[in-house]
Amino acid sequence: MGLRLIMYLVIIFLGGIVGYKRLVHKNIMGKMNLIQSICLLFLLFIMGIKIGGNEDVTSSFFRLGFQAIIISIFSIALSILFIMIIKKFMINDGEKEEGKNEF
Amino acid sequence: MSFRIILAVLGGILLGYFFSPEFILSNSDIIIDIGLCLLLFFVGIDIGKNKEVLHRIKEMGFKILLVPLMIILGSIFGSILAGFIIKLPVNESGAVGAGLGWYTLSAMMLTNYSSELSTLAFLTNVVREILGLMIIPFVAKHIGYLESIAPAGATAMDTSLPLISKSTDSKTAIVSFITGMILSTAVPILVPIMISI
Repeated sequence: MGLRLIMYLVIIFLGGIVGYKRLVHKNIMGKMNLIQSICLLFLLFIMGIKIGGNEDVTSSFFRLGFQAIIISIFSIALSILFIMIIKKFMINDGEKEEGKNEF
Repeated sequence: MSFRIILAVLGGILLGYFFSPEFILSNSDIIIDIGLCLLLFFVGIDIGKNKEVLHRIKEMGFKILLVPLMIILGSIFGSILAGFIIKLPVNESGAVGAGLGWYTLSAMMLTNYSSELSTLAFLTNVVREILGLMIIPFVAKHIGYLESIAPAGATAMDTSLPLISKSTDSKTAIVSFITGMILSTAVPILVPIMISI
């Protein structure tokens, strides 16, 4: 996975340079959005086939749905909580600088 | 777009369930690997295009970066905590949480690990986006503007941004965009890290 991660990072970085330097002409950029969508939809379709062809997954679809709800609720709740914790510190900082609470 | 996404996945599931196309199933790993690389390249382009973001971060001060950092920590710890309840290994629940609401990419990155976890990542992050869209106005009104960015996760820069912008003020909308940008960059890095723990 380590090598894979480095490969991902290199690819994202290369893409970043292309985007930052505007190496791709605007007209082509519009077409690239289309290519990106088609690529994404095709991959999701393949992913779907893999999911549908796997009996372990299809037989436990409702269990997975239930787990998904639990995980997403906890993720959202803790994200909000963590922001609440740092906000106090950010607002105090802001009050010193600007004398008012901006958030 | 989200309708087409659901349609593509559902179409695939039905085809896989009823016909199990041998050729695709036996070559799906390599197809997804190549496609994922292409997709990540596009993600990089999108990130690179937003030059202003760096200036905005400097303008607002680097403490603004605490917002995406806390959302990452909250999402991953939250999902690991949920993982204890539903008896999921830490690396798996952590990887699902590291999807940060970006259901297409996180599910895709986990497909070759296991179809079951990939399904869970997809469902979890779809649910996160739906729940997020439902509670953002409530959170903005009763808890705080900055907190309303948290449920959105990586979608804070696209699908959830109009709602956050409507429910809060222009400054929070800018923070939301920056946050979504950083979270979107973090997803393809965090998911493989979490799964290999």
